[in-house]
This record gives sequence, structure tokens and C-alpha cells, in this order.
Amino acid sequence: MTALLSVQDLTYTIRKRQGWLGSEERFTLSPVSFEINAGETLAIIGDNGSGKSLLARLLVGAERPSGGHIFLNGQKLDPFNIKQRCLNIRMIFQHSNESLNPGLSVGRILEEPLKLNTQLDARARQEKVVNTLKLVGLLPDHQFFYRHMLSDGQRQRVGLARALVLDPQVIVADEPFAALDPSVRSQTVNLIMALQRELGLGFVFISHNLGIVRHISDRLLVMQKGLVVESGKTETVFNWPKSEYTEKLVMAHQSLINR
Amino acid sequence: MPLLDIKNLTLEIESTQGWIKALDKVSLQLEGGEVRALVGESGSGKSLIVKSIVGAIPEHWRITADRMSWKGQDLISMSSDARRRIMREDIAVIFQNPVNSLDPSASLGEQLMESIPDHLLDKGWFWQRAAQRKQIAVKLLHKVGIKEHSKYLQAYPSALPDDICQKFMIASALAASPKLLIADDPTRGMEVTTKVQILKLLTRLNKIRGLSILFVSHDLLAISNMANTMTVLYCGQTVESGKMHQLRRRPLHPYTHALMESAPSFRKDLPPKSPLATLDGTIPTLQHLPIGCRLGPRCPRAQRECVKVPEERRIHNHFYSCHFPLHRSLK
Ligand SMILES: Nc1ncnc2c1ncn2[C@@H]1O[C@H](COP(=O)(O)OP(=O)(O)OP(=O)(O)O)[C@@H](O)[C@H]1O
Ligand code: SF4
Ligand SMILES: [Mg+2]
Repeated sequence: MTALLSVQDLTYTIRKRQGWLGSEERFTLSPVSFEINAGETLAIIGDNGSGKSLLARLLVGAERPSGGHIFLNGQKLDPFNIKQRCLNIRMIFQHSNESLNPGLSVGRILEEPLKLNTQLDARARQEKVVNTLKLVGLLPDHQFFYRHMLSDGQRQRVGLARALVLDPQVIVADEPFAALDPSVRSQTVNLIMALQRELGLGFVFISHNLGIVRHISDRLLVMQKGLVVESGKTETVFNWPKSEYTEKLVMAHQSLINR
Repeated sequence: MPLLDIKNLTLEIESTQGWIKALDKVSLQLEGGEVRALVGESGSGKSLIVKSIVGAIPEHWRITADRMSWKGQDLISMSSDARRRIMREDIAVIFQNPVNSLDPSASLGEQLMESIPDHLLDKGWFWQRAAQRKQIAVKLLHKVGIKEHSKYLQAYPSALPDDICQKFMIASALAASPKLLIADDPTRGMEVTTKVQILKLLTRLNKIRGLSILFVSHDLLAISNMANTMTVLYCGQTVESGKMHQLRRRPLHPYTHALMESAPSFRKDLPPKSPLATLDGTIPTLQHLPIGCRLGPRCPRAQRECVKVPEERRIHNHFYSCHFPLHRSLK
């Protein structure tokens, strides 16, 4: 069976020059490889500044890698074909708040990607918008709402709906739960797991919340300073961490639970 | 006598729809040496309670309480001088997001030295006093576990990681040797090892110096680690309070129950990828608060009586406000 998403030796280098004749500062994302199957979840954990968000941006095509390849269902993705990428791999942002345009109704926000990326006519787009709203547990009426009329949880759902409206195969999310309160967070977690079961969605997410990471992810990628220090099945990594850094994270988390 | 004693604190805010009770009969008590968690979702009024305690509420809001006292002295009726003195000497506050609450244009050392109150310095010439300030600052830094003080005193906040900034905040909060430290979401957004360090530091200050702490957060894992007691807030109403382990093992209020169930780490028997327990719907906004028990529209146990605000009831030191608590079977 070919993997849904397969990433091989993805690298990226940023050079920043500091001042006139200043020393060159470099951040390198060293070769990252992983695979996920349909319906599976990959979690990425690690320090702030370890390159997690950069990796997410590379996956969705917001940055071009310096090297390496991404395969979707065994087919290599062309780094210059943004449209193909947009259709298949979609991103949800941490603060759905900032990423939703306050001047557009929810309906318009969801219709925009359909206009840009599909041949659907106005009626078909409308139908798609309503169906997607229902899929994420909102009502058809919500298409007439503006951002300020929605609660945090509803905004997060709109962010998810916008990602889903193009029927992607993979969703990438940067800290999707951090801004959510406990009860709304559980709802969102449940919703994503249900959508994965129904649609076979692959889900890649970045999080500091190791409780949720352990509960919903199948595989885990641990990053430190641009390096993947460990990767594997989530349960294996939590029970038998190999790198010192992972062990430190897991112990810190366990120490919070077992008091 | 409790250190801090708040009974039926109500705070009304004026809005386009008239006066809204942002806090509705909130009660909160804190004994000397206690670590109490104040838990609630975003917008539930945690920071408003903190602001009420420190007296940072805008004049035109209405604030009433049956009791609001610090070591037996009534905070509401006391002169603003007396109140400021308590805030200067007895109560210190640290906020979420340390980087934003520090001044970006001054070095950490300058800011820390400034927070040292004059009365801690011996009389002397100003250059002697400057040296004294520096000494005290270094001592404070050691107390919060920063050993390489020379490296950090010159630095500016933006150049340093979160945990160092938060430790600086705690150090300057400790400058006046307060009795109570109010920490408003001090670990929000922190990576887990950093978070554990800050929690350990606070726990140590409590154990060694007997510092009382009001720990405001919605991070259940952090809370259950730190606190002896807990007060749960929902939409500006206190729904339950008691000993931490009691509330974890046997919550009586449906909201507390849902909150505890929402943290997968608390539930060792939970199979991977199984749905998490949750309440329907979302937190209402202040403009659309339901009448009576504010959990009503989302509560699985709600019945007709719930349109009346439930009275607070108690079993020993365990308080709850619910018409149909979990230890009673429903009709
Ligand atoms: N200056 C203000 N004017 C009007 N409403 C306000 C003001 N400050 C706070 N509120 C409202 O009061 C309610 C409680 O706010 P508060 O800041 O106490 O929440 P919180 O529990 O601290 O949340 P968080 O976890 O996000 O910090 C919110 O609904 C908020 O919108
Ligand atoms: S008073 Fe009623 S609505 Fe409120 S928590 Fe209790 S049962 Fe639920
Ligand atoms: Mg707050």
C-alpha cells in the first residue's frame, strides 16, 4: 500500500545577515522524512523555534524546500504547482481569529477558495458551502454570520470548514487547540477524529499539549533546533523514548500527571 | 481568619444592553500558606476577579460584595492610600505573557532594581544605595533559580526566552516579600519543560517561604500539580470549590465534572483515539447570558428549576451551586 503522504529528506536553509559585514546566521532544517496513511495522525512536538512551524509551511507549499520531495499517494508534488498543493493539503492556523477576514461573511470566506480553485458554478458552490458547514457541526445559517458574531469554538470550526471545503486529503494544523478552552477543545478534537474516520483524512499537527498528542496521534516527530531527534509510533516513543531530549519532555509531562 | 475573604462579589459592567453582571455572587477564600487554583474558561471572569482584588476596576463599574477583606480589613471601604499600601507590601501580581508585561526599552536589571521598595535599603548616599539595590536584585534572582545573574541583568526582555522573563517577573514580585502572590495564567503557551520549571519554583516558594498563591489558569494539569484547593468559575459564577483531590475524584457540579473529563491525561483508562467527554454548545457571551444557572442551556442535568440561580450549598469544606448535583440521582 502506498502511503497517503510521504516526505523524503526535506531540507530548508534560511540565511540572515546581521548588520554590515556582520556574521551570517543560519537556520537549517535538516533532512526530515516521514509517512502517514489515510486516516492517520502525525503530531510534531518540540521547543519554540525548533522548526515545527517551518515544516508545516513547507508541507502546505507556503515555503519552497531547499531539497527533498513530498509524495501524495505515491505521486511527487511539484513545488511550483501551488494549485495542486492547495487542493490536496490544507492548513488551519493557530488563531482562527486573525486568519478570518472580519469584513467577509462566513459564506464568502468559504466560497473564496472554491472560486479560485474549482470550476463549480454559483449554485454548486453554495451547496458545497452549506454541506461543509454541516460537516463541521455548524448550521446553514452560519454562512450569513461575520467573524465578530462567532464564539472561539465556532471560529475554529469555520477555520476547519475553510480547510475542508476543497475536499483535501491532508490537513496541517499549527497549534490548533492552544487557543481553545477545555470544553470547546474536546469538541474540536472529537470532530477531527470523526472526520478522519469518515473521510480518511490525514492530519498533521503541531502541539505543546502532550496529553492530546498522546491521545489522538498515531505517529510522533520530535524536533529540536531544526533536527528531528526522534520519530516513531506515538505509544512507543512515549513508553521508550530514545533521545535524551524526548525523555526530558515525556518525564516533564509524566511528572505533571503523577502527582 | 483567612488571608483573603470574598463573599458574593458582584461586578456590573455597562453595555449597550444595560448593566450586565460580569461577576455574579463570586466567593473565594484563601488561608495563609495555601495554594488555591482559580479555574475557568476564557472570558469566565478570572482576570476580573484579580482586578477586583487589586483594585484595578474602572470607577464607573458597579462593584458590590457582602464581604471583601484582607486579613480582616475591609478592602472596599478602606481609603485608597491604605489599599495601595496593601498592594505594595502584601500582595503581588504576575501576569500571563511575561514578555508583554515587561518594558521592552529597559534592561531586566533596571526593571528588577526599580521594583525593590525604598524601605528595604539602609540610609546612605545614593551610590551606596545603588550598590545595595544591585545586591538585593542578585539575591532575588538566586531565589527564583537564576544563577548566572550577570548574564541576564544587562539583557533586554525581547532577547530572552519565556521562562527567564517569567522568572524575572516572579523575582520582582517577590521584592517586597508579599504574603500573597496572584499568578494570572503564568504558564500560558509555555512548552512543557519550561512550564514544569515555573511550577516547581512557585511550589518551592510556597513550601519554603509560606507564600500563599492564587493560581489562575485553565491548564488542568498544571493546576492539579500546584494547588491544594480549587475554585471553579463558569460565566462569572462560582460553581464549585473545595480540596483539589476531592474535586478531582468526586466533583459534584456538572461543569466541574465535564472539565475534569476533558483532560485526556487524567483518564488512564481512556482508549487511544476514543471521543472525549464534552458539553454541547459553547460559552455564551456576556451579552447573551442565560437567566438562572448560566450552565443551563449546555447542562445534561438541567430541569425547570434551573432558571433560578442555585444557592450555594456545602458539605464540610466542599461548596457547590447546583440544583441537581451529581451525588443526587435525578427524578
Ligand atoms: N474592559 C471591559 N469592558 C467590557 N467587558 C469586559 C472588559 N474586561 C473584561 N470584559 C469582559 O468580562 C468577561 C470576563 O473577562 P476576564 O478577562 O475576566 O476573563 P478571563 O476569565 O480572565 O479569561 P482568559 O482565560 O481569556 O484570560 C469577558 O466576557 C470579557 O469580555
Ligand atoms: S443548576 Fe441545573 S443547569 Fe445548573 S448545573 Fe445544576 S443541574 Fe445543571
Ligand atoms: Mg485572564
